[in-house]
Amino acid sequence: MISLWHFLGVGAILFGLGLVGFLTRRNLITMFLSAEMMLQGVVINLLAFGSHHGSLGGQAFGLFIVTVAACEAGLALALFLMLYKRGRSLDSGDWQTVREVGVPPAVDTVPLPAPPPDDHPTLPVPGRLPEQAEVRFQEVTRA
Amino acid sequence: MPPALANPLTQLVLAAALGVAGVYLLLPKPRVRWVAGGVALVIAAAAVFGVFLFERYGQPVLSVNGDKTNVVGSVLFWLFAAGAVGFGCVLVTQRNPARGAIAFAFVILSTCGLFLLLAAPFLMAATVIIYAGAIIVTFLFVLMLSHVKGPSDENDRTREPLLGSLAGFGFVGLMLFTLHASSPPMALAKDAGPQYPLPAPPLTADDRQLLDRALGHCEEAIQATTWEEFRNHAIQANGFLHAFFTAADRLPVEDRLKATAADPRVAAFLEKHESLRSSSGMPLLSLLGNPTNETEARAAVKALRDELYVYRGNGRLPARNVANLGFLLYSEHLLAVEMAGTLLLVATVGAVAIARRKEVGQ
Repeated sequence: MISLWHFLGVGAILFGLGLVGFLTRRNLITMFLSAEMMLQGVVINLLAFGSHHGSLGGQAFGLFIVTVAACEAGLALALFLMLYKRGRSLDSGDWQTVREVGVPPAVDTVPLPAPPPDDHPTLPVPGRLPEQAEVRFQEVTRA
Repeated sequence: MPPALANPLTQLVLAAALGVAGVYLLLPKPRVRWVAGGVALVIAAAAVFGVFLFERYGQPVLSVNGDKTNVVGSVLFWLFAAGAVGFGCVLVTQRNPARGAIAFAFVILSTCGLFLLLAAPFLMAATVIIYAGAIIVTFLFVLMLSHVKGPSDENDRTREPLLGSLAGFGFVGLMLFTLHASSPPMALAKDAGPQYPLPAPPLTADDRQLLDRALGHCEEAIQATTWEEFRNHAIQANGFLHAFFTAADRLPVEDRLKATAADPRVAAFLEKHESLRSSSGMPLLSLLGNPTNETEARAAVKALRDELYVYRGNGRLPARNVANLGFLLYSEHLLAVEMAGTLLLVATVGAVAIARRKEVGQ
């Protein structure tokens, strides 16, 4: 016996989190994944209502949502690849030039922190090869 | 718990405010970013949301009779719900998009656990394969192709973090408040037992239409004041039921159900099926032949209506999920299935066309 309301609550929270991610993040892929998370919240709602009413219709709708999400993923992937080829970045802010007329551009005022210095591990100075190894190598090549 | 916090409205406002503050602190920004405080606030917000759900609606999964808590099911629900929400927060606030993609895979796995609790094993498998298997892997490829070193605009800046989190959590708070305002009172919601102890019959749209029309005539017959009117409606209802039982595809469905009659729920359904068949048809018609036994006939029609409601009604989901889902998809939703296939084809063609386009001017 499953309670309907708990699942509706979880679906709403997932949808809201996805909304936050979609509105605020600037990486195209993170935005896309947030949108997919919103879809998951909706699917949970459909399944909860289907289970509540004892109908398989909710699951059928869930399947269609998954289908549409798969189409969306394929198209989004192709679009992101093309945008990356043009702009060399996945930043959605790079495409401000296509904003609406009369909207001022968003300008980043705070500078980014400096990149951390590379800390490659330093290897110890290698020593000479042992004598024996050289001898063996010669024997092998002679044979 | 202080009495002020026991009010669901206060809990919702508190949870939304904590969530806004936590997510604002966690979202990547060049200046204000305090991970430890943000994590603590988000966990507190999730806990308050959980307390709201528990106080308001009780445990999520009850035993089959609805009188006791199903401990395993409830633990699984809270686990999967916390996993989905927690990894969702990681996805939204993580600077590194590759880690965000991994967190999204865990969100998918958690929601798949919830799908299993909701008796949708096929959808669970499909979601795991499509999302966690295909989408995440291809997106990780793109992320590796476009890997950036050090801080970058797309990963370390956010657009309007405060307003965005206000919008999202305001939405969640309003949604849950609507849920709270529109759901039954606390005592009822907590003690909601199984109202429909029957499995859902595998009925097609045509079947449902026939049953609905029979039900409508039953209702009108019960409302009828004169014997003639009553008799007319009762005969019509009987006719629709006869059409239902003699429909061309009824026998294969019955045979298929009888093959799984070992399942007690299927057995219960078959019993209802047979009793409905026996209480309609000739016995009812013979009762209707003579106006002297009007009271008996009216009682019989009333009983038939009740049986019909239970039979057509909202039973539990059938145990054979894949078979019944396939039956539903290819009977009621055939056109939609075809259109979904066409949509997939068009999307594939479109994706190939977009990705293979030559750069202009090269």
